[in-house]
Amino acid sequence: MLPVLILNTGKAETNVFIFLKILKENKMDAYIVAGFRSAVGKAKKGGFKNYRSDDLAVDVVKHLMSTVPEVDPKLIDDMIVGCANPEGEQGLQIGRLISARALGFEVPGMTVNRYCASGLETISIASAKINAGMGHIYIAGGTENMSTIPMTGYKLAPSYNAAMDYINYHVGMGSTAEAVATKYNITREAADEFSYNSHLKAAAAIDGGKFTDQIVPVTVKEVFVKDNKRVESEHTVAVDEGVRRDTSIEGLARLRPVFKNKGTVTAGNSSQTSDGAAFVMVMSEEMVNKLNLKPIARLISCAVGGLDPLYMGMGPCVAIPKAVKQAGIKLNDIEQIELNEAFAVQALGVIENAGLNPDIVNVNGGAIALGHPLGCTGAKLSVQLFNEMRLRNQKYGMVTACVGGGQGIAGIYELLN
Amino acid sequence: MKHYINKVAVLGSGVMGSGIACQLANIGMEVVMLDIVPFNLPDEQKNIPAVRNSIVNGALKTALKTKPAPLYDKNFASRISTGNFDDDFELISDADWIIEVVIERLDIKKTIFEKVEKFRKKGSFVTSNTSSIPINMLVEGRSAEFQENFCGTHFFNPPRYMELLEVIPHTGSSDDILDFFMEFGDKHLGKRTVLCKDTPAFIANRIGVMSVTKLYELTDKFEFGIEEVDALTGPLIARPKTATFKLQDLVGLDTGDKVSQFVLSAVKDDVFFEKYRGKDNPKWLQHLLDNKWLGRKSKAGFYKLERTPDGKKNFKAFNLKTLQYEDAIKPKLPSVGDTRKIELLDKRLQALINHDSKGGKFIKEYFAELLAYTSNRVPEIADHLYSIDDAMRTGYAWDYGPFEYWDFIGIQKGIEIAIEYDLKVADWVTEMASSGADVFYKIEDGIKKYYDLESKSYKEIPGLDTYIILDNYRHKKPVIQNSECAVHDIDDGVLCVEFRSKSNAIGEGIGQGIAGAIDLAEKGDYRGVVIGNNAKNFTVGANLMNIGMIAMQKDFDTLEKMVDGFQQLTMRCRYSNVPVVAATQGYVFGGGCEITMHCDASKLAAESYIGLVEVGVGLLPGGGGTKEMAVRASDSFFPGDVQMPTLIEHFKPVATASVATSAHEAYGYNLMQRDKDQVVANAKRNIYEAKREVLNLADNYQKPISRNDITVLGRAGLATLYTAINEFKLGNYMSDYDVEISRKVAWVMCGGDLTSPQKVSEQYLLDIEREAFLSLLGNQKTLDRIQYMLMNNKPLRN
Repeated sequence: MLPVLILNTGKAETNVFIFLKILKENKMDAYIVAGFRSAVGKAKKGGFKNYRSDDLAVDVVKHLMSTVPEVDPKLIDDMIVGCANPEGEQGLQIGRLISARALGFEVPGMTVNRYCASGLETISIASAKINAGMGHIYIAGGTENMSTIPMTGYKLAPSYNAAMDYINYHVGMGSTAEAVATKYNITREAADEFSYNSHLKAAAAIDGGKFTDQIVPVTVKEVFVKDNKRVESEHTVAVDEGVRRDTSIEGLARLRPVFKNKGTVTAGNSSQTSDGAAFVMVMSEEMVNKLNLKPIARLISCAVGGLDPLYMGMGPCVAIPKAVKQAGIKLNDIEQIELNEAFAVQALGVIENAGLNPDIVNVNGGAIALGHPLGCTGAKLSVQLFNEMRLRNQKYGMVTACVGGGQGIAGIYELLN
Repeated sequence: MKHYINKVAVLGSGVMGSGIACQLANIGMEVVMLDIVPFNLPDEQKNIPAVRNSIVNGALKTALKTKPAPLYDKNFASRISTGNFDDDFELISDADWIIEVVIERLDIKKTIFEKVEKFRKKGSFVTSNTSSIPINMLVEGRSAEFQENFCGTHFFNPPRYMELLEVIPHTGSSDDILDFFMEFGDKHLGKRTVLCKDTPAFIANRIGVMSVTKLYELTDKFEFGIEEVDALTGPLIARPKTATFKLQDLVGLDTGDKVSQFVLSAVKDDVFFEKYRGKDNPKWLQHLLDNKWLGRKSKAGFYKLERTPDGKKNFKAFNLKTLQYEDAIKPKLPSVGDTRKIELLDKRLQALINHDSKGGKFIKEYFAELLAYTSNRVPEIADHLYSIDDAMRTGYAWDYGPFEYWDFIGIQKGIEIAIEYDLKVADWVTEMASSGADVFYKIEDGIKKYYDLESKSYKEIPGLDTYIILDNYRHKKPVIQNSECAVHDIDDGVLCVEFRSKSNAIGEGIGQGIAGAIDLAEKGDYRGVVIGNNAKNFTVGANLMNIGMIAMQKDFDTLEKMVDGFQQLTMRCRYSNVPVVAATQGYVFGGGCEITMHCDASKLAAESYIGLVEVGVGLLPGGGGTKEMAVRASDSFFPGDVQMPTLIEHFKPVATASVATSAHEAYGYNLMQRDKDQVVANAKRNIYEAKREVLNLADNYQKPISRNDITVLGRAGLATLYTAINEFKLGNYMSDYDVEISRKVAWVMCGGDLTSPQKVSEQYLLDIEREAFLSLLGNQKTLDRIQYMLMNNKPLRN
């Protein structure tokens, strides 16, 4: 707004004209030029259970850099790391730690937390900063290791005043899913069927090699004691671990509800807890041209919205219309959607109430099968979306997720050829 | 030579094998359990270890899921390792004890023992859990050294819960092994060990089969329904509620029949069983067996639980005449109605036997046969009559064995009723009676003695020197006595407060007893106090009836005095100049748990079921229990601690009224503490151990200083606990009133709504605990819960 004040002509119409002109002249388009992710490990039992999220992020970022040799790390303005539980092993400002280790002391880094939206939010911030002319190259994404850090953090310390005003400010995620199931009449059968299909689609995607190009194989070296001897071991994780190939509707139906007596939500129709990291490089148009790079996509809008925390799962319904409007397109211009499957009931509620076409949602399966490494998820889904859209030669795609505390996020990408 | 058992090999992993392995793990043994490799494995699976061990691993997994749990603590499962007979037999080579629990087939067992002989180390003990094969036959072909170290060790199902361990020598068993297992089984395994002879079915099953056979016969003779027989043969005659037919459902009709057929075929010179030999089963029993209605495991047996479409329970009973299931009835027998209210068992049994009705005659004929039969089994199956009583009490959960019943009925009366049915009691009994000895047991100078056949005199029951049985002090006038308790001088300067109210519920009398005992000790007359009793349950908690009545009259002054009094009592247990030690077994609920928590130490029988259960009746622990959990949470905080998880861990057992299903589990609930509370394997020994603890502590006992350094978290803690409670509410696991009660618990444990964590005194916490307790008593919903509990013996969720 500063330029407007300086050039105040005294006439409102002229002011607006000058403001828009300045904005347009100064706005720089932001492009995604590369994006990668780790495979998603099963929390507490998978390949990354003993691998810190900063280590994993460093591996992914280094690989990302190696695919864009034109970029000297010193050119990078900032690194923005999404993380939903930035404490304990993920504390001590993990964003900075990752930037220093992966890119060198000269590259700064920060941590962003909007729970499950963090990984998308970082791309949004990077794009917005470039749009505002604050920089040219950003590394954005997210990382999360749910194997080590408890879901509620090490110290669950809600606000007394908040709790006295409205107890559901701090409601647990499972309870929100049950609340959504009740309010929107979503049945156990529908939830289980949705979950079953998520596994089927994910298995097909893995078998079809859909994810191979986007996954950075990560080698984990471990030292442990076996039969009283120090032993070293090594394994490489290159495939998403969450898919259960033996899942059946009957098997899912046998699981007990975990959050509510005679409830709907089971371990089988909820997202899995996971470990993973995903990052993209966001670059200004000027720099793209200067380095002569071929961009992949552009985040044309990203919106967040809020609602009663008890119905957290319906958050995308608030965010999607905003994002669509901002992008200046229509909902049915969108050809593909990655909707984070926090819970099957929530995903079904969103599809129904946001008016999404179920056929274009999560064509390669979702978090129920592939896992949900909280702070990483938004970036991971973006990377998945780019690849699939490229294969299908599509133009507009969306990543959307519900967010703890009663929020939703939706980001719309335009794919560039 | 002194033997030590640290590693045990269990061969066979069926229901008994797995159960025995678990009980051995319970007492801290390293256990290796082996079973066969599955037959006919396809080639591609032949070499996969997981497949080769699938039988033993599957059996253990099933056992671990069984209810009631076979382990004191599920973490103890890590003490059991598994393997198979083909690949892992060398694992027995360093075992100190090898127990065989494979299928009841002599050839298979002999093959196993042949292999055991090849692998075992010299001097290790080898035993068999056989229930039917003569021990002598099992050792045929084995070396002399093997034979010396071999005997039978017969557990009852489930091995954790059934107290009997029958020890059976063969002719070559060394005294060493028999002495060892008689003592080890008692002190380490927590069992009543009974020395048997190598006779068919040993002791408990022999008498048990006779008993059920007779009851079946009488059922037909008197044309009773099964509900009527169960009404006559349960608690009325001091037996478990499962009585006759419900017990068969529990055991499994096929299992029961197998044991019966075995006894029938194997016994010699047994006039009772001669009558049945070659005869068919009662037609109703055969009908059930033929239809595979075998009891609870097949969801139908003598009884059947059906559910109506709307989920209500519909209890059916098998009609022995029509051979159909019909709605179960509540029998109204005059014999039961006229006698069940008689408090004293001797008077009740006498009234029953003399009752001129079908029911009275049924019971009379049953006891006539039982007494006559058992008398003729001495010395055939046991040299000493107490062995038979011990076996029936602990193996069949009868409150009394046959000779104890006989003492209740009267020796002459017992002989008379036997004659009435043309039954011959053993000569030694008639001789004993005519010599003027008119009881089988008597207590002299606090020692229980039995009538010894050989010497024709009363002798001390061996192995009881480290049991303190309060019954044996009855001849001495208690130091203090009131309607709820008695305080005994249990020698060496130690007092024992014995609860003896109904269900040992705690009221004013018990309070006076404990306070009085501590006063006496403080005066210098005694060195310290044990709080313990020999009842099945230590106590069910405070006397709810009393509290409920006063609360309904809204007499809050009296209620406040009562709660205050109870708080002072528990604080007196902690803050006195003499050691106070609790000895518990069975239920240790509510107020009983609070007393135990405040004692200087406690000796908990492994089978102690401990919990602060007040929330279930709409209250919170008001005798210092809630305060104490706050103290324990505070004591667990350490510099840099985030504290909340610790607070939650201490809050949960109170807010959810959790009951630890063993003394070991109570540590995990923070209800008991490892540094002061210890587990005793044998429930019969806890008072003795508590007395020893009093004497240990008394030497340099220092009264603790009252606490004013308890960190409570105030609002920070409340927000966390309220949030956690909300999750239970949203999940429909708590009603609105549950939420209200839990929030009160949270309030007390956080010290109220203090704006920051701070240190407070014990008295402050007691004050807010009392206030919270009284406020709940002012709520009609709490009164409804109390009333419901008193009437239905289960909690109301309102």
